[in-house]
Amino acid sequence: MSPFELAEPRTLKSAVKLLDAGDESVRVFGGCTALMLMMKTGVFQPKRLISLRGIEARYSKVTSAGDGSLRIGALTTLAALGRAAAVKKRAPVIVDTLRTLSNVRVRNVATLGGHLAHGDPHMDLPPVLMALDAQVVTAATAGSRTLAVADLYTGYYETALARNELISEVLVPARAGRRAAYVKLTTRGADDWPTLGIAVSFVTDGKVLSDARFVVSAATEKPLRLVSVEAVLNGATVDDALLARAGEAAAAEAELVGDARGSAAYKTELLRVHAGRAVRKALAA
Amino acid sequence: MVNTLGKSNNGSAFGRSIPRVEARAKVTGKAEYVHNLRLPGMLYGKVFRSTVAHARIRGVDVSAARELPGVHAVYTAADIMKLVPDPHYGPAFHDQPVLAIDKVRHVGEPVALVLAADPHVAEAAAQMISADYEELPAVFDEVEAMTSKAVVHEVLKPAGTFPDLKHLKGKRDTNIALDFHLRRGDAQKAFAEADHVFEHSFRTQQVLHVPLEPFVTVADPTPNQLVIHTASQSPSFVRIEIARLLGWPESRVRVKVPYLGGGFGAKLYIKLEALVAIAALLAGRPVKISLTMEEQFYQITKHAATLRIKSGVSKDGKILARECEVWWNGGAYADIGPRVTQKSGFTAPGPYDIEHVAIDSYALYTNLPAAGALRGFGIPQLVWAYESHTDMIAKALNIDPLAIRRKNILREGRPQATGTLMRDAGIEQVLERLAQRMQWEKTFDRGSGSVRRGRGIAIGFKASISPTTSVAIVNVSADGSVMVNCSTVDMGQGSDTAMAQIVAEALGIPVGSVTLVHPDTDVTPYDMATLGSRSTYHMGHAVKLAAEDARDKLVALAREVGLSAETVPIPDIFRRKYGMQAGNIVGVGSFIPAYAPPDAQGQTDNATPFWMIGATGAEVEVDTETGEFKVTRLVNLVDVGRPVNPAIVETQISGATMMQLGFTLTERMDFDAGQVTNASLADYRIPGIRDVPAVMENEAVDMVQKSGPFGAKGVGESGTFGVSPAIASAIDDAVGVRLTSLPLTAEAVYRGVRANAGRPLED
Repeated sequence: MSPFELAEPRTLKSAVKLLDAGDESVRVFGGCTALMLMMKTGVFQPKRLISLRGIEARYSKVTSAGDGSLRIGALTTLAALGRAAAVKKRAPVIVDTLRTLSNVRVRNVATLGGHLAHGDPHMDLPPVLMALDAQVVTAATAGSRTLAVADLYTGYYETALARNELISEVLVPARAGRRAAYVKLTTRGADDWPTLGIAVSFVTDGKVLSDARFVVSAATEKPLRLVSVEAVLNGATVDDALLARAGEAAAAEAELVGDARGSAAYKTELLRVHAGRAVRKALAA
Repeated sequence: MVNTLGKSNNGSAFGRSIPRVEARAKVTGKAEYVHNLRLPGMLYGKVFRSTVAHARIRGVDVSAARELPGVHAVYTAADIMKLVPDPHYGPAFHDQPVLAIDKVRHVGEPVALVLAADPHVAEAAAQMISADYEELPAVFDEVEAMTSKAVVHEVLKPAGTFPDLKHLKGKRDTNIALDFHLRRGDAQKAFAEADHVFEHSFRTQQVLHVPLEPFVTVADPTPNQLVIHTASQSPSFVRIEIARLLGWPESRVRVKVPYLGGGFGAKLYIKLEALVAIAALLAGRPVKISLTMEEQFYQITKHAATLRIKSGVSKDGKILARECEVWWNGGAYADIGPRVTQKSGFTAPGPYDIEHVAIDSYALYTNLPAAGALRGFGIPQLVWAYESHTDMIAKALNIDPLAIRRKNILREGRPQATGTLMRDAGIEQVLERLAQRMQWEKTFDRGSGSVRRGRGIAIGFKASISPTTSVAIVNVSADGSVMVNCSTVDMGQGSDTAMAQIVAEALGIPVGSVTLVHPDTDVTPYDMATLGSRSTYHMGHAVKLAAEDARDKLVALAREVGLSAETVPIPDIFRRKYGMQAGNIVGVGSFIPAYAPPDAQGQTDNATPFWMIGATGAEVEVDTETGEFKVTRLVNLVDVGRPVNPAIVETQISGATMMQLGFTLTERMDFDAGQVTNASLADYRIPGIRDVPAVMENEAVDMVQKSGPFGAKGVGESGTFGVSPAIASAIDDAVGVRLTSLPLTAEAVYRGVRANAGRPLED
């Protein structure tokens, strides 16, 4: 790993300004868990890094509004996110997902903002937050904007963020009666990156499903909503036949990528079977 | 604490689960490792490596690297050869150059070395080096290597240390680094007469050791000696081989080894030591090289292997004849591969009583990273094949897996394939205890719906590498405390504790008054190496003999001064002799077991000083809709003789089992044209704590190795033997899918389920 200069701004505003300094290799970091791996292998050799750890404390906090929505500072560590009472109450699927996300050493320092901005399709929370209709608030010298997590990803390790733009907060809307689940499938040991991720959410009265979200990740270039599965689920009552149809729709719509964790054909079979199991898991949540 | 010589064998020290002597230092971060060593004026080395699998080197351009500010020196083979004209090393063949000469033979091979006071500068400079290659055809597959036109080494250069390699000297245009053959009876005739003949082929993948402490060596050229601090399992070998390369007497090379963060067979023979030593001499300053986790993937690995087994069987399941062909993928340098081929090769038919046996075992060169010893020394590959084969025969003949083993097992006093009679080998005891713990003869819950359950058992055995030597010194101080000088390396297996227990037992003194002197070739005598589960038996004997020698001398000294050593405290004897607290008693022990080399047919009446036995029972749950499976229970049984320290024995069994579980389920080096495509711990998956089966039971059966120190023998590898085939058989038992290639993946199971249903999965 090559030496680099470290900037430690005290405010988000100055962090954004430092990021906008013109040097293409400048990056911000929260926990630096992903960047550090790239730097150790020499894939990424920055001259300067900007630590966000010293900026205003509110970007490390989770707050819940009266309507049940969540506002999560982007510097909230994954461990703190998993412990936050508001998250446990409003979006237990996030807490469940965090249990098997990486390991405790990484979760203790990695931040939600970094996790989302990295753009690696194997990350666990992007599909979950997409299924929850979450949004990110970004900051740049030009100003702030809000966009759906679903619109954040544009390709493999590619996001809609401008080079001088960073994520400052994540908003999770309140949804009464919504259930959600994430299924992480690993094929090379429990702690591996997912072979396939499936996030599902829907509103239900206990019988009929509506307003479903169905997202696949890890075996795709970016987390992907499968609208054909959502169409099968919406307005339907859960039974084995419905879940089989959902699996067929998922397998037909998703174009999965094969790699060392499994062939595309096998991952498609995993999706076909686990699509329905994910719905069952959400119903039981 | 004042010690008096106790009665030998009084059981006060041996056989007790005392805490490891180094445990506190390790958990408080105070244990000494080479990684922490920094010497004044030390330079850091960074290796520039080949990016191609097989090529002639047209040129290496180091000019930009040399010009980078802060770079002290950049060396290529030409510089190395100024000091060492023939810089080739290796335990079996002198085939491995310190830096590539004229040719590279695998991706990752060291081509040049940068030295700088700042490791970051060394790293940056290494990235500025470029090499011009004329690529040659490469061979990667071990079976293809038998007949391939691509030849890795033009001429074979046996090191001269092993008599069965001498006939290979000067042999040209072959990739076969050793062909081992064993013939007993007449297998061909027996096949013709057998009721059934079964033949199956198996494959194992290339994997690696992944010690948490990667390879690291520091060399310090002092005025009188070259001092090498290295994370090595074989300090004595390092001294002898470095002295040979330099043309120096052994006494001018000093090798020191503190604790190791794991070895598993990786840190044997010469790894970084030759390069670091020569670089330090060229630079005239201390030099350190620490490999990254990623670089470890190109240093040393475990043999991939193809195995073919053919058995002639009577209709009631008696195995009459067996033929084994094994091709070991040794990679670009032989390392200790030819010993794997022979020493493990002769157990290829398994722990079975078979009258007619033919074995052909081949060590092959290929253009992959070199393969050497890894926890089991080839045995896990062999057990994988012969135990899978055993269950495939059992299934075909509708015989229970336990019953077929009981019918054929190699019992005490019967001849093994080499003709050596089995002695103190608890094969039957281990098998029967496994059956008992698995409740094999009771009804088993086979699951329902899409979750099917199955179980399997497997048993393997291993000979100890022989003949090998261990020498030890036991030094009794005037206050009665004791130092043990031995070159056994405690790499986490607990040898310091075991040796202290053996010495304490032999002297009848508390374990706490015995201290181990860590390997330092200036003061600790020769030991062949810490490998192959040999230390407890070989060094155990040496330290016991040294302790007994010290004891005899102490008794004589007491008699000389008119005291009884058995009643008078040790300090009083010294004080009576020297008038004050002064003097030492030095006991010496040297041990080499009896051995008879095999004849041309592979026959010998003494192939090994002891046998190691290991068996595993596995229970699995398979999801028939996806092929995903869970190992829900692993039961591991071993024969280790009398355990020196039962708690450490148990962790050795569970550690070995977990390591083999990784090799069974998740670990595999993936290659693209010889380049490892998953050379990182993110992409090469070793088991984590969440991969440990819900139920894991480990037990050493009640056995005594009569020839061992206080009845003990080795334990480090036995837990690996049965894991892979037991799990594969359990999967077959659950869903009728027999996998013959490692690792066992959910996808392979799923594809098997689909194939059985007549609808194979199409890509």
